Amino acid sequence: MSAPTLISGPLAPSGTKVVRATPGRHGKRRWIATLIAIVFSLIWVFPVYWMINTALKPQSEVMTPTPLFFPLHPTLSNFIDAVNNSTFLDNLRSSLIVVVASVLVSAAIAFFACAALTRFRFRGRRVIMVTILVVQMLPSVALLIPTFLVFNDFNLVGSYLGLILAYIAMVLPFSIWILRGFFIAVPVEIEEAARVDGASDWRILRSVLFPLVAPGIISTSIFAFIAAWNEYILAYTFMKDNTMYTLPIWLASFSTPHSGTDFGGQMAASVLFSLPVVIFFLIIQRKLVSGIAAGAVKG
Amino acid sequence: MTSVTELAAGSERAAVETDSRRPRGTTEPPNGGTAPPTPRRTRRSLTPLWLLTPAGIVVIALILIPIGFLLFTSFTNFDQRSLFTGAFDWTGITEYTSIFTNVDFWWSLLRTVLFTAAMVAGSVVIGMGVAQLLTRLGTAMKYIVTVVLILAWAMPNVASAQVWKWLFQPGYGVINWLLTQTHLFGNVLNVNWPQDTSLAFFCIWLLVVWQAVPFIALTLYAAQSQVSQEYVEAARLDGANEWRVYWNVTIPFLRPTLMLMIILSVIWDFNVFNQIWLVSQGGPNDATMTLGIYTYVNAFVSFDLGNGSAIAIVTTVILGLLSAFYVRSLLRSGEDL
Repeated sequence: MSAPTLISGPLAPSGTKVVRATPGRHGKRRWIATLIAIVFSLIWVFPVYWMINTALKPQSEVMTPTPLFFPLHPTLSNFIDAVNNSTFLDNLRSSLIVVVASVLVSAAIAFFACAALTRFRFRGRRVIMVTILVVQMLPSVALLIPTFLVFNDFNLVGSYLGLILAYIAMVLPFSIWILRGFFIAVPVEIEEAARVDGASDWRILRSVLFPLVAPGIISTSIFAFIAAWNEYILAYTFMKDNTMYTLPIWLASFSTPHSGTDFGGQMAASVLFSLPVVIFFLIIQRKLVSGIAAGAVKG
Repeated sequence: MTSVTELAAGSERAAVETDSRRPRGTTEPPNGGTAPPTPRRTRRSLTPLWLLTPAGIVVIALILIPIGFLLFTSFTNFDQRSLFTGAFDWTGITEYTSIFTNVDFWWSLLRTVLFTAAMVAGSVVIGMGVAQLLTRLGTAMKYIVTVVLILAWAMPNVASAQVWKWLFQPGYGVINWLLTQTHLFGNVLNVNWPQDTSLAFFCIWLLVVWQAVPFIALTLYAAQSQVSQEYVEAARLDGANEWRVYWNVTIPFLRPTLMLMIILSVIWDFNVFNQIWLVSQGGPNDATMTLGIYTYVNAFVSFDLGNGSAIAIVTTVILGLLSAFYVRSLLRSGEDL
């Protein structure tokens, strides 16, 4: 993303040797920018640093009159406590069941929907796209209330199935919206060639489109995973049994048998909970930033 | 919805525009029914219907019907008892008259508007500043800032809310300790931010802005690297200083991106829930009771679901209007739905 260089050749403006700030001034400005950047980075990274720092401290170093800016005796005991002395494993299992099921189902449904929305022209296509766009903006409480009432009638409140259905409704619209971009990027000519060779719609979908958009399905699933993994208020309202809680509820109401508020344990729990998200984020990071760059050309 | 969709929205726009080629709808004619369709074509034109059926079922059964049901419930006195007995009465617009005459509702609406304005202003202004800063850094420093931004962006808000409570904890919180060390405010070690009527919101504001800046900064930076250098150089030739260049050349270029960022931020910040609920639960004395929290408390704490539904309908209408702006500006920016 380096600044575009000036066009050379006949179209280049005559004065390509443009007046720049003198080297001295330029250097000084760069130096000030670097200084501001260092201060900014220190402030912005501080909450994350403090979380990790606290998580690695032994009990005696967490609450000290003068805060310790690094652990004197780093230990993993907070992590071990968080995993062993709580419902972590049960809740991890709940999270995985609910998140994986809803992400897989959404990805499959989104794949078919995107094939229809990008590969065919039909009446009502625009209405569908606008609907998909707008329902993402709804406040979660607005969906929470009626979903709760309907699920209550069907005895789905407190069950994994209920939460899975609610999460599918939450992630499907934006899964379709993201995946659609990957479909659009696949040239139509490839399918046309397959069609000329006599391939059926189903076969084109399975053997031509699917392999081409597979990376898109993975990115979309990662987004959906993060959204479902982090979801709190639906799970908090729906789940009654503490072994069926998902990890966000576990984290928000974290406690271990230690006396008082166990901030060391809480921070270790926060690290454990955030870790998969941060890893996934780093995987799609390149796509994220370069994608944004592409979007911004027009956006 | 959850604020994690933020990161999605970033690349959603992204992925969408990676290719300017538009599918020409394979071989299908616009399915208007004008051309006499051959049997094969008729059969094939049903394909999109089949493909859309599962998505249609989900959207209709799990989103549109529930919203209809929400509207229905808002005209009833559905409460905790109704959950077990299934008995409730049709009360017409009573719930609406009761919320519109309730001063708590108006306060929470006003609070939501002010909070949203403060959070949007904070994150957009800082985001613009960081984007501009990024254009002036060397490769190494740019990399460091980007990593820091992505870390803040990636943190799940349930986790960052926990971290915030620890940072601002009275007695042993590091923020109070740092503030005390500056000697500017005296000894503030025991200030309880989330339980202080004036500080609770500031504490949440910091949390929301901290997480919102990365998306805005990185998007604006990407847009800024597309700004045509000729204009910048031309402006410099004419003797414009850095500030003038930014204001008169960069900003006009950024305007479409900036508009989208602002509209999206308004929608997301209006919907902020987890951060408030987990840090202060809407307290103290309702000081951080925004519409979302107010709705939740009515519906699931006092279990007055009829009333909660009516408030949720009002919120939905407000967000519907905001989304209309978003869709319009997306279409204006050349998005082909």
